Amino acid sequence: MATIVVDNITYTYGANSPFEKHAIRGVSLEIPAGQLVGIIGHTGSGKSTLVQHLNGLLRPNQGRILLDGRDIWAEPKKIRDVRFRVGMVFQYPEHQLFEDTIYKDIAFGPKNMGLDEAEIDRRVRQAAAYVGLDEALLDKSPFDLSGGEKRRAAIAGVMAMEPEVLILDEPTAGLDPRGREQILAMVGDYQRSRGTTVLLVTHSMEDVARVADRVLVMADGQVAMLDTVKRVFSRADELERIGLAVPAVTKILLLLRRGGVAVDTAAYTVEQAVAQLLPLLGGDGV
Amino acid sequence: MMKDITLGQYFPGSSLLHRLDPRMKLVLTLLFIVLVFLPQNWWGLLAVLVFLVLVVALSRLPARLLWRSVKPVLFLVLFTAVLNMLYVHTGTTLVQWGFIHVTTGGLQNAAFIAVRILCLIAGSSLLTYTTTPTALTDGIEQLLSPLKWIKINPHELAMMMTIALRFIPTLMEETDKIMSAQKARGADLESGGLLQRVRALVPILIPLFVSSFRRAYDLAMAMECRCYQGGEGRTRMKQLRTAPRDWLSLAVYAAVAAGLVVLNGLFGSVLK
Repeated sequence: MATIVVDNITYTYGANSPFEKHAIRGVSLEIPAGQLVGIIGHTGSGKSTLVQHLNGLLRPNQGRILLDGRDIWAEPKKIRDVRFRVGMVFQYPEHQLFEDTIYKDIAFGPKNMGLDEAEIDRRVRQAAAYVGLDEALLDKSPFDLSGGEKRRAAIAGVMAMEPEVLILDEPTAGLDPRGREQILAMVGDYQRSRGTTVLLVTHSMEDVARVADRVLVMADGQVAMLDTVKRVFSRADELERIGLAVPAVTKILLLLRRGGVAVDTAAYTVEQAVAQLLPLLGGDGV
Repeated sequence: MMKDITLGQYFPGSSLLHRLDPRMKLVLTLLFIVLVFLPQNWWGLLAVLVFLVLVVALSRLPARLLWRSVKPVLFLVLFTAVLNMLYVHTGTTLVQWGFIHVTTGGLQNAAFIAVRILCLIAGSSLLTYTTTPTALTDGIEQLLSPLKWIKINPHELAMMMTIALRFIPTLMEETDKIMSAQKARGADLESGGLLQRVRALVPILIPLFVSSFRRAYDLAMAMECRCYQGGEGRTRMKQLRTAPRDWLSLAVYAAVAAGLVVLNGLFGSVLK
């Protein structure tokens, strides 16, 4: 288990050029081990830039990133070891598949770690099982798989490195509702069974509401909120000011309260909303 | 890293050069190449240099842009100059040491050629700096239209060029993304011998090829959906029209060429 501490980092794209852009400014936060944290924010809020710092793909212009108390850039030559401990699944990860079989592609990461054949085999099969890929698919070419299967194979490729922290950048982007549901359920199961720290970058408040323990809200390159799901969603006005929508059920409760109905607007799942509304309706004698 | 590459990059502006007809600019650029090779003596070369400075001033582009276009070919320039210095043996001998035989004539030749190439690169890079890629391909298409007579379709050539230029930044971005994704899986791109490094490129090149094909397919589909069927019967939103300034520029270039020929006659040749 690893704790990530981000200590006042700043990153600027294209420094000292006319295209200079401050992607993140003075971000500090701590992500305790074993939690599933949702990261939300607008396009360009700096969420993708932030997560690329956590495994050393980007090096901050200022500030430090501590993994279990150690600065990950203390020895720049060993940054690869950090990438094995902090696994990162990019947006549309199925575009990175390159081997002639799914098996070999999932084995790419473990192979780079220098593991022996038996261990690689164990990890590939286990990762495939986590993402729900049938064993029969392992010997197929990535081109023979469906879009959803390809995406799950690509995620397995990162899980097979057995990272202590798993970062997923928009893993449900471009999938149909069923595909989304599968990926989210799989990420949740994986997190619970392994106790890994998982960071889930997403646009969707519903996704966050479903699986996350805590929520990090990014706005304009800075941390706007980092709190439990319940507390973040109870600040709906602030979220809307940033331009983020609260989940539909929370929105309904908010509108009800604005209309004078006494409800607790912190509910963010359908079940919670039902629990809020049923007594009210019952009171009216329905 | 990828962001440092400038290829046919356009710098917006409204100078005289920016407003010239792209067809005329293409012709003038070809003429400029001729101008650079006309002078046979230092007076002529000086005239070309002064002319280049004037044109650059007219374009109102920052001088560092020209430096950036010249920088990648500096090695080539140096290499050509050294070869000239070593192989031209006229004038008085300055150094004689083994196969190294440097003479005043050789030095003069070397300097002359170096200045010539630098002018050539700087002058022709003005074309892409002051012309949008679309205007450029429009210009090329119309200049090449006589090729129709030998069954080559200039519209298709121009369309291919436009698409290629359009996709350079997209593919750069894509490469960056794929590299990050493979690095996140522990791909080692920075160490090892030549063979190892070439092998390390496979996980990057294959996804890049796959995505290029995917994009090409999507684009073809999108073009067909909008009933694209080649240049036949296609009209343009922006018609190219030559203005008096285009013909005036052509006249100036012609006058400079004539002047250079006169200078050649007056001062003779210093090149061997």
